[in-house]
Amino acid sequence: MEKGQIISGIAHAGVILWVVLGDWLFRADTLPEMEVAEVSLMSSAEFDAMMAAAPPPAVEPVEPAAEPEAVEPPEPVQPEEPPPPAEEPPPVAPPEEPLPEELPQEAVPQPIETPEPVAPIAEIEQPIPVPLSDVKPRPRPVDRVAATPVESVDAPEVADQVIEEVADEPTEEAVIVEEQQEAAAPEEATTQIVTEAVETEEDAPQLEMTSSLRPRSRPAQVAEEPVEEEVAAAAETVEEPTEEPAEEVAEETATEDAVAAALAEALAEEAATEQAAADAPSDLPVGPPMTAGEQDALRVAVQQCWNVGALSMEALRTTVTVAVSVGQDGVPDAGSITLIDSNGESDTATRQAFEAARRAIIRCGARGFPLPPEKFEQWRNMELVFDPNGMRMR
Amino acid sequence: MTLIRTLTPVIALALGLMAGAVAPAAAQSQGPLRITITDGVIEPLPFAVPMFVAENGAASEYAANITRVIAADLAGTGLFREIPAEAHISQVSSFDAPVSFPDWQAINAQALIVGAVSASGDQIVVKFRLFDVFSGQQMGEGLQFAGTPATWRRMAHKVSDAVYSRITGEGPYFDSRVVYVAESGPKNQRVKRLAVMDYDGANVAYLTDGASIVLAPRFSPTGNQILFTSYESGFPRIYLMDLGSMSVQALAQTEGNMTFAPRFAPDGRTVVFSLERGGNSDIYALDIGSGQIRQLTNSPSIETAPSFSPDGSQIVFESDRTGSQQLYVMPASGGEGQRISNGPGRYGTPVWSPQGDYIAFTKQNAGRFHIGVMRTDGSEERLLTASFLDEGPTWAPNGRVIMFTRESAGAGGQAALFSVDISGRNLRQIPTDGPASDPAWSPLLP
Repeated sequence: MEKGQIISGIAHAGVILWVVLGDWLFRADTLPEMEVAEVSLMSSAEFDAMMAAAPPPAVEPVEPAAEPEAVEPPEPVQPEEPPPPAEEPPPVAPPEEPLPEELPQEAVPQPIETPEPVAPIAEIEQPIPVPLSDVKPRPRPVDRVAATPVESVDAPEVADQVIEEVADEPTEEAVIVEEQQEAAAPEEATTQIVTEAVETEEDAPQLEMTSSLRPRSRPAQVAEEPVEEEVAAAAETVEEPTEEPAEEVAEETATEDAVAAALAEALAEEAATEQAAADAPSDLPVGPPMTAGEQDALRVAVQQCWNVGALSMEALRTTVTVAVSVGQDGVPDAGSITLIDSNGESDTATRQAFEAARRAIIRCGARGFPLPPEKFEQWRNMELVFDPNGMRMR
Repeated sequence: MTLIRTLTPVIALALGLMAGAVAPAAAQSQGPLRITITDGVIEPLPFAVPMFVAENGAASEYAANITRVIAADLAGTGLFREIPAEAHISQVSSFDAPVSFPDWQAINAQALIVGAVSASGDQIVVKFRLFDVFSGQQMGEGLQFAGTPATWRRMAHKVSDAVYSRITGEGPYFDSRVVYVAESGPKNQRVKRLAVMDYDGANVAYLTDGASIVLAPRFSPTGNQILFTSYESGFPRIYLMDLGSMSVQALAQTEGNMTFAPRFAPDGRTVVFSLERGGNSDIYALDIGSGQIRQLTNSPSIETAPSFSPDGSQIVFESDRTGSQQLYVMPASGGEGQRISNGPGRYGTPVWSPQGDYIAFTKQNAGRFHIGVMRTDGSEERLLTASFLDEGPTWAPNGRVIMFTRESAGAGGQAALFSVDISGRNLRQIPTDGPASDPAWSPLLP
């Protein structure tokens, strides 16, 4: 058995080595050099034309009668031959007529020389404008058109996808519509900031669940302090009663210590939970930095609603910077839109420019900006700079 | 070598992954995302103006008419687009009813005008509120106008002016009038009368009977007087008409000399004009109160078409002192002037903008006429129109719109009034009863 195993092992090792290295060690010395021959392509029509021209010489015996017969076949071929003459765009018409006449003449006396005319034809074929110039009579474009219908079978699939997307959107829209109403109501109520804060706090636990990626040391650092304080406070509260009966009943003290410890733990947990809730925004998904493409997508989304057509000349010289908070669904909080900077020459111009910017944010953000959810922490607060100077034309 | 070749991509991939892992960490920077937006869209702002609420039966007709005039005013600027009533989801039944913004957002109305009209006896009252639909906020304070039934159009224009100014930040101009020359009859025997109308062509009134040819009327800064040139005496002479009393008075009477191209100074007490003596035209200033005349230019060339800057410190005029008509600016006290037009072609009829930032002019170049604007130093010249014959620009009170005369070619060609935004957009013809020319915009009515 050992020998068998050894032999088997050696054999397997050998096979493995052969498989791994064989290709490298026993590679063929030299691959046969590839002979490269220049080949010129010709269309079937041209081949037919050539063949049509070639037979006449084969019909050598029938010298008198063959010539007229040979002339006949080329004639139907003539419409197919136009490609070669059409190779020369300007003189398309002239060469077409002489060529069909010349080809039969050349083919008749010199069947072997036929390759020669083929070569130049092939050279001229490469430009391939030939078929283009003859697109009219050729059925090829029709074939192409016929091919697309086949592809059009795929088109419905695309359409289906679109429909699906559209079908998805309504459902989202239904949700978003509610959000829009929510966004509109706080504005009217003029207590939006409070509403925002409440909303963000309410959302926090859910966000924790989804994030749970990088708790990092943030909650730990912040949580530790209150925990220690609470523990100390709990210990103090527990110590007071324990100090009095301490000498008398050690077991009771131990029990009370245990209770105090449990209480402290509970308090610490509560404090940690509260702190975590308070720090929830920082635990939101951060993700990698916003790419230039993602920022461009946001820029495009906003600018398509930024209508400066009704702005005054002065407002068109005014650049405003607007801060806005955006929900995780990408919908801006209308109440959070505030003007934080402006170079306006007057309050009126600044107000016009800001209002146009605010309209742009609200309108195009109604269905949510195209923002990567995993990077929410990076775009939940934005500063949008609206600079109309490049658009000024008045 | 093969091993190295095999490992190379692996190493490169590993390095790439390491770099990718490091880069985001380094790039992660807290703070709000900052995006700069430089390319918006320029298109009319959609607005909705549901029919004003008629608070009593007598006001229903006025409510409908006023609503239509407001919509026409705003849409006529080219800056706004009315959303037709058929598309409205919400109906406004009460002026004080809360606005259902989602309904207006759904039809993409970005501005909403809600108003009401009441009529009692010889007075009608119009009130309105303007809302920013998407922010759900009222824009500015609601306003109310009262007047006689005959002035309902003015009240509508007042509402339009308030809305226009609140949204655009530009000054109002709807509640203004235009004096012009109304033409009638065949081209070789054209009858020309002075006429005045609302800026939109309504409420036309004729000021002269057409017995003599009249030219180039100009409003006074207060809008209650008109300067014009008339051939009543057989040759051009400037006259002053008081619109209150309809009295006409000849100015700068100098025997045998032509006076033309008059225009008021901003103070309304001085008139600048051209006076022709011995084939040479120069610019003069006339103090209306004292009748004293002062020569401002003294050149063997033709100087004419003077126009004051809004502050009254400078005058822009045209002169052919260099061989072709060009624009010059000189102090109001007179002088040689500094040339400001430098492009090809000939420039004429300059008019200083009420805002003081632009000068409108007529330009003839390559067989075409243009209305254009340029900065007061001649920079940023921009041609707004081009046609067989465009001439005689006049500024709207807010300095954003220009009205001018356009005459079509051919024997049957007629003159008409056109307006254009100073951006060159919204070129449109002003409806008039017949051919019209030489418009002059009044200041905003009180």
